Amino acid sequence: MIRFENVGMRYGMGPEVLRDVSFHLAPASFHFLTGPSGAGKTSLLKLMFLATRPSRGLITMFGKDIATLPRAELPPLRRRIGVVFQEFRLLDHLTTYENVALPLKIQGRGEDSYRADVEELLAWVGLGDRMSARPPTLSGGEKQRAAIARAVVAQPDLLLADEPTGNVDPEMGQRLLRLFVELNRLGTSVLIATHDRALVETAGAPELVLHKGGLTIRG
Amino acid sequence: MADTSRRPDPAPTFHGEPRGVGAALAGLLVETRSVMPAAGATGLSLVLVIAAMCFLASLALGAALSVERVASDWTSDLAGALTVQIKPSPETPPEEQIDAVMAVLDGTPGVLSATALSRADTEALLEPWLGAGNVTEDLPLPRLVDIRIDAAAPPDLAALAGSIAAAAPGATLDTHRQWRTELRRAARAAIFLAYGILAAVAATTIAIVTFATRAGLSANRDVVEVLHLIGARDRFIAAEVQRHFLHLGFRGGLIGLALSVATFLALNLTGGGDGLFMVPISGLQPEHYPVLAAVPFAAAAVAVATARITVMRSLERML
Repeated sequence: MIRFENVGMRYGMGPEVLRDVSFHLAPASFHFLTGPSGAGKTSLLKLMFLATRPSRGLITMFGKDIATLPRAELPPLRRRIGVVFQEFRLLDHLTTYENVALPLKIQGRGEDSYRADVEELLAWVGLGDRMSARPPTLSGGEKQRAAIARAVVAQPDLLLADEPTGNVDPEMGQRLLRLFVELNRLGTSVLIATHDRALVETAGAPELVLHKGGLTIRG
Repeated sequence: MADTSRRPDPAPTFHGEPRGVGAALAGLLVETRSVMPAAGATGLSLVLVIAAMCFLASLALGAALSVERVASDWTSDLAGALTVQIKPSPETPPEEQIDAVMAVLDGTPGVLSATALSRADTEALLEPWLGAGNVTEDLPLPRLVDIRIDAAAPPDLAALAGSIAAAAPGATLDTHRQWRTELRRAARAAIFLAYGILAAVAATTIAIVTFATRAGLSANRDVVEVLHLIGARDRFIAAEVQRHFLHLGFRGGLIGLALSVATFLALNLTGGGDGLFMVPISGLQPEHYPVLAAVPFAAAAVAVATARITVMRSLERML
């Protein structure tokens, strides 16, 4: 489903932050992405959620070559990808409910068709009573859960999460992991970038390990 | 209905789709929630700028309409009137000349009435220049015959001029054609000027809206990026932005229109507009007001189209 072949990436004229990265994610697979800070995890995720294009190498996503894909064909691909950004990137002027419902609204669906689902999901991540609150009034953990809810609400084919449990207590971390596992059972490929060893060990999933821009696969 | 009881505290939601004409009109005035943040601080000042532009546009449009109307009133007035001027002749006394001219006019189809001005009337016409009682008996004065013709079936003016000149030496027919041509030319120039102002105002509005849209987009660059990353198409973002400008444009247009209508009504009441363009601006008639009412809609349309084009162009440069 997702294939990286000898991918290299640099910002501007700087040094390569990713070097000769090659891997393949099968449909409905579950992987962790680990490695020390600055190893290039976020850059790798950025390539995968189509925020940037590689400097060299080949990336195929859902059967399309990312390097040559015209701009107008990016939105349908992006809709198949759910992203939990490291800094959440919720829209501050919208309520929690609106933030989470946004991917569905963007797909052109009417509010009647998704309202109940969104409310149920918000209740599940423990934000049932914070639906009308705006992100600036949410705690770090609440923002994180809202960001996760937004990423999974449209049942994407691929879920990318950058440190999704960094701001929640271990109990909530396990609860969110169960959400990811459940989503994975329904057919979504999941890739979670994390420093949380406990999370990796609980799930027992294979790990992509980044070190100084190079990638190895463990497990 | 059933699920409202289930939800005691409904979360605020996105705008619903407007239903019906009334709702659509209300939607023009009441801004609904948007995925793009409203430009907040620039909102009010932009409304005021657009209001000022629409005020100028309505004034120019109103001036064009009233000049057009007054000029056509005057020219049709003049078109129904002719004057025969009879220069004093050494051979024939003026009364005989007038009788001869009147005889020709009586026999001409299309002439509704012909009134000869007496010598006293003619002296009265000269009074502003010569002063009362300064016209001596022996001062040879041209005599005038005022003619009203049927504008629908006018007489053959060239033939009439010929027969009048033949009937009395020194008699000439004045059709006011030159005066009418000049009046029309002046009116056309004024109307051209008014439409020129209208075009300049529209161009300025486009420039301002373009600038405001770009500023809003770059202030909300992060929001645009998030929307893109979760799969929004450019036209979705453009639709959210242009709805904001629809409201700004329409509100500004209404304010500008209200100010200009108040101005026209005030000019009408005081009659103070008589000096403008040498033409009473109060020539604006009730039937012209619906044309002015198009101004807010035009302003909203210009703002929306400009915002859309600007957004689509700016987004093309992003990934």
